[in-house]
Amino acid sequence: MVCIVPLMSIGHALLGLLEGGPRHGYDLKRAYDERFGQDRPLHYGQVYSTLSRLLKNGLVTEAGVEAGDGPERKRYAITDAGVTDVERWLSTPEKPEPYLQNTLYAKVVLALLSGRSAVEVLDTQRSAHLGTMRELTRRKADGDLADQLICDFALFHLEADLRWLELTAARVDQLAVEVKR
Amino acid sequence: MNRTISDLALGVRLAVGGSRKSWVRLALQGLGIGMCVAVLVLAASIPGAFAARDAKGNLSEPQPQGTGPAPLLVENAYVAYRSDYIQGRYLKVLKADAPRPPGVEKLPGDGEIVLSPALAELLASPKGELLRPRFPQRVVGTIGQAGLTGPKDYTFYAGDDRIGESGGTKAYGFGVHYGGGGIAPILWLLSVVGIVVLLFPVLVFVGVAARLAAAQRDRRLAALRLVGAGASRVRLIASGEALVGALVGLAVGFGIFYAIRPFVDKISIAQLAIFPSDLTPSLGLVLLVVVAVPVLAVFTSLFAMRRTIIEPLGVVRQQKPVRRRLWWRLVPAIVGAALLGSQMGKINDTDRPEQWPVVIGVVLLMLGIPVLLPWLVERVVFRIRGGSPALQLAVRRLQLDSGTAARVVGGVAVVLAGTVTLQMILAGVEQEVVSKEKRQANLAVLTVSTDENVAVPGLREALEKAATVRSVQEISRTGASAGEANYVGIVIGPCDALKTQATITNCADGKAYYAPDSGGGRAVEPGAELTLGDPRKGVRWKAPAQWEPATARNGGLYLTPAAAAGIPVDNTSREFMAELDLSVPDAAEHARNAIAAYPWQTFTSFAGQNDIPEMERVFGLVRQGLYAGTAITLLLAGASMLLMALEQVRERRRPLAVLAASGVPRGTLARSLLWQNGVPLVLSTAVSVATGIGLGALSMKVSDAEIAFDWPGIALVTAASAALVLAVTALTLPSLRRATGALGLRTE
Amino acid sequence: MTLLRAEGLVKSFGKTHALDGAGITIRAGEVVAVMGPSGSGKSTLLHCLAGILPPDSGTVHYRDRELTSMNDGDRSELRRTEFGFVFQFGQLVPELTCLENVALPLRLSGMKRKDAERAANEWLARLEVDGVADQRPGETSGGQGQRVAVARALVTGPKVIFADEPTGALDSLNGERVMHLLTTAARETGAAVVLVTHEPRVAAYSDREVVVRDGRSRDVEFAR
Ligand SMILES: Nc1ncnc2c1ncn2[C@@H]1O[C@H](COP(=O)(O)OP(=O)(O)OP(=O)(O)O)[C@@H](O)[C@H]1O
Ligand SMILES: [Mg+2]
Repeated sequence: MVCIVPLMSIGHALLGLLEGGPRHGYDLKRAYDERFGQDRPLHYGQVYSTLSRLLKNGLVTEAGVEAGDGPERKRYAITDAGVTDVERWLSTPEKPEPYLQNTLYAKVVLALLSGRSAVEVLDTQRSAHLGTMRELTRRKADGDLADQLICDFALFHLEADLRWLELTAARVDQLAVEVKR
Repeated sequence: MNRTISDLALGVRLAVGGSRKSWVRLALQGLGIGMCVAVLVLAASIPGAFAARDAKGNLSEPQPQGTGPAPLLVENAYVAYRSDYIQGRYLKVLKADAPRPPGVEKLPGDGEIVLSPALAELLASPKGELLRPRFPQRVVGTIGQAGLTGPKDYTFYAGDDRIGESGGTKAYGFGVHYGGGGIAPILWLLSVVGIVVLLFPVLVFVGVAARLAAAQRDRRLAALRLVGAGASRVRLIASGEALVGALVGLAVGFGIFYAIRPFVDKISIAQLAIFPSDLTPSLGLVLLVVVAVPVLAVFTSLFAMRRTIIEPLGVVRQQKPVRRRLWWRLVPAIVGAALLGSQMGKINDTDRPEQWPVVIGVVLLMLGIPVLLPWLVERVVFRIRGGSPALQLAVRRLQLDSGTAARVVGGVAVVLAGTVTLQMILAGVEQEVVSKEKRQANLAVLTVSTDENVAVPGLREALEKAATVRSVQEISRTGASAGEANYVGIVIGPCDALKTQATITNCADGKAYYAPDSGGGRAVEPGAELTLGDPRKGVRWKAPAQWEPATARNGGLYLTPAAAAGIPVDNTSREFMAELDLSVPDAAEHARNAIAAYPWQTFTSFAGQNDIPEMERVFGLVRQGLYAGTAITLLLAGASMLLMALEQVRERRRPLAVLAASGVPRGTLARSLLWQNGVPLVLSTAVSVATGIGLGALSMKVSDAEIAFDWPGIALVTAASAALVLAVTALTLPSLRRATGALGLRTE
Repeated sequence: MTLLRAEGLVKSFGKTHALDGAGITIRAGEVVAVMGPSGSGKSTLLHCLAGILPPDSGTVHYRDRELTSMNDGDRSELRRTEFGFVFQFGQLVPELTCLENVALPLRLSGMKRKDAERAANEWLARLEVDGVADQRPGETSGGQGQRVAVARALVTGPKVIFADEPTGALDSLNGERVMHLLTTAARETGAAVVLVTHEPRVAAYSDREVVVRDGRSRDVEFAR
């Protein structure tokens, strides 16, 4: 199963980017692509449908329209509710499952961009991962060989994630410098 | 060739390393080997030193052969003073350019004297007060080192124009060559034995010192081996490492030797004091030491490494060592015991036991100790079951490697056994000498004897005038033989004089007495035909037809003058017996001073002189020397043991730290160290004391002496080795403390 | 029930601040993983907790006793009777057989040799290494040695077991086996385990983890 950043997460990503200040939709797409969309840039449509959903939920507001040619040049700004939503998202660990790197990476970068503690994000995630691993370990102890092998498969993958979390935690200061450049 | 040198150089570099630890190790190694080398060099110089003494003594002897008129007349004199003898010469110079004895710048003229420094000192000191009257001459010089055999020599050359010319006094120069002199072969052999027994532990310690920090080095070399260095290359590298330590040790050793050499003239037994310059190691022996020590160091380290080389992984994984075999270890001890045993039965017979088997037996028994000890330690250690955890830790450690400990301790054991044996011999000799001296102590007679055929007018009168002399008796002595090897001493004198020599009853002139020889010599029959003096050309004389029995210290015929008719006067030597008033202190010396005018014509002896204090001083010094030697070897052993213990602690840092972390009290760990050092040493002390006592008793029996035990001495030796264990353990504690701190838990 | 509690631990080695206000709470019977990057002070924290290393400041309470104010002898005894230790390697006395190694702590607290060795044998069997009882540690594999070490840590029935990278030198399978045996035995005897590790799969044997970073600890309380 290939895991793309779920829609919900694009919303959070855009919100996180908006925390730095109001931006145009086009700006947001460019910022997103630059940071998270290496091999999968966002479509304009995705950006605008997400923004309109956020608008509808009261997480962003329109902050005026700029004159000029081209498509719509509305500026969006994050609301207090939007900030709270980002907070909650960042401090909630992802459900530990394989191929989380995009989301996790996005979280770390956004935490750094917004001056929040990226290490905390990682620690929270590590806890969640370890919790799952504990669960699997327990299952393994009680199960038969087939169970054990299946659990081990998951455990090794989770372990790889965890190692990545640790590695990232160790290099978070370096990342902060690069992200803020 | 280049490879060889570069491999050796790599070893040297690994040894010197540059890190502080490797310098410390090198220093310890240098010191350990150095102390051994110093002992070896000292031993190598002693034969030379005593040969130099003998040679110098010969150079001062007057040379009686020559042509033409003699330039000098010389009389030897022995001046007794309390417990000392002063041996000197009286000279009469006949020619202006007469030859001078060595060390004398100017021959003394009539009434002049040159003294040895020690004698000059004695005369100047209050102790020499009663000697001064015998040397009234003007002192015109000091005898130089060339004329003295040792720094404590009492000797002199005095000028005296009264010396008459005779065959015995003519001298044409000084210096004779006595071929084949020196010590008897058996004594020489005994000294060799002593040196071998004493040096054996030294060699053991050289091996131990060369193996310092061996575990660490073994790991290093095993690593080299594992990355592909060939066995021969690893051997070369190891040799390079061992060589550095040995060379440093040689340098240190010669340094120590030359540092202590200036003090050998302070030895206060006159016969043992030597001039520092005479204490020069002979070139051959020095070369032997210089070659043997590095070879030994390299050889022992290679020998000990053989497992590393064959099986480098074995260093990483400690495995149970192979068991020691017993049979060949028993060979020396059994052969030694058999050799000694073969002589045992002969002790009661009149003929003496053979000396060679005895000596070889002793050596083999001594060497049997270090050969057997490793086996014994291993056996005992494998037997030990139960006991406290501390004991268990120690025992298990010893089970893995008891060899090193046993080797060190084996070296100690030889020394201890030797010491105990010598102590016993010493104690026996001392007891015998002192008790004989005690028997004589009540004799109040000063004996003044003159040479045969020489009349000394005025001697008796001078003696009678002495304030401390109560009365003077005169006897004549001669001897006669009845056929081969049957000699009887003859004493002639009036009844009163005879009574001073033997217990006789109802004495009257004309009577004869016979006292049997206490030595068991064959009796002489009354009326036997005897030959007086020299059996080949002597005068025939018929013994009295009857005599009465008597007892005397010296057996023989005791004749009143009438019974001695027929014995020509010129066949006898005269002896005056002066009864002394012992209430005056030094009565004998006062009497001797009264006849100081006859220095070389008379020989005086005073059996009542109490020599016990002097003997005890000498015995005490000999014993001190023995203890000093033992102490040095024990110290060497202690140093080796300490280094071993320190290394073991370092090597086992991690397990020790973990044990301490898990709450094992340090006391338990310290006690395990104590056991580890103590078990082998206690074993070896027991073995060596037993061997020493056995050997001592045996050699006393062989020499037909009374067996005496020097219990305080034995206790001292035992206590010293116990103290050694404690000291070594105590010195290891700081490093144990360091290892068991939390730092020990950190990996390197 | 809180068994062991440390607060405000500070420990410096020269200029290195190994611990800088770390704290931790261990409850009876739980398995706590101490995680964190290398050099963050995990081992130092463990040493301070166990009373092996006195902290420069801060307190360590075991039950109602304050470790930092106890003398060395008392701490030794506490460690011997209440704690057990497993380290990464090199903790067994090389001269003693495995059986004797395990029996050693019992004998140190005065048990008779026979009884101690019987108990030791039981533990060896429980850890599935009774086969190497008479071998020396050098003659065993790393995994066997580690199990012997675990047996030695458990044999006295300690209340807390301190394990510093107990699987550090083992492969995954052996490491997991050792962890399984260790945690199972600890749970059965009700011992708490303080487990320093940087391997997630090892940490997964814990009930919760504490993260140490730059000498400060974060007790991540995860809802179970
Ligand atoms: N005895 C010591 N002397 C000097 N520095 C020390 C000592 N003990 C620890 N340190 C330092 O304290 C810091 C923490 O060390 P500690 O051993 O506790 O780290 P750790 O978290 O256990 O690391 P690892 O995971 O690598 O074992 C390190 O920087 C270390 O260098
Ligand atoms: Mg550590």
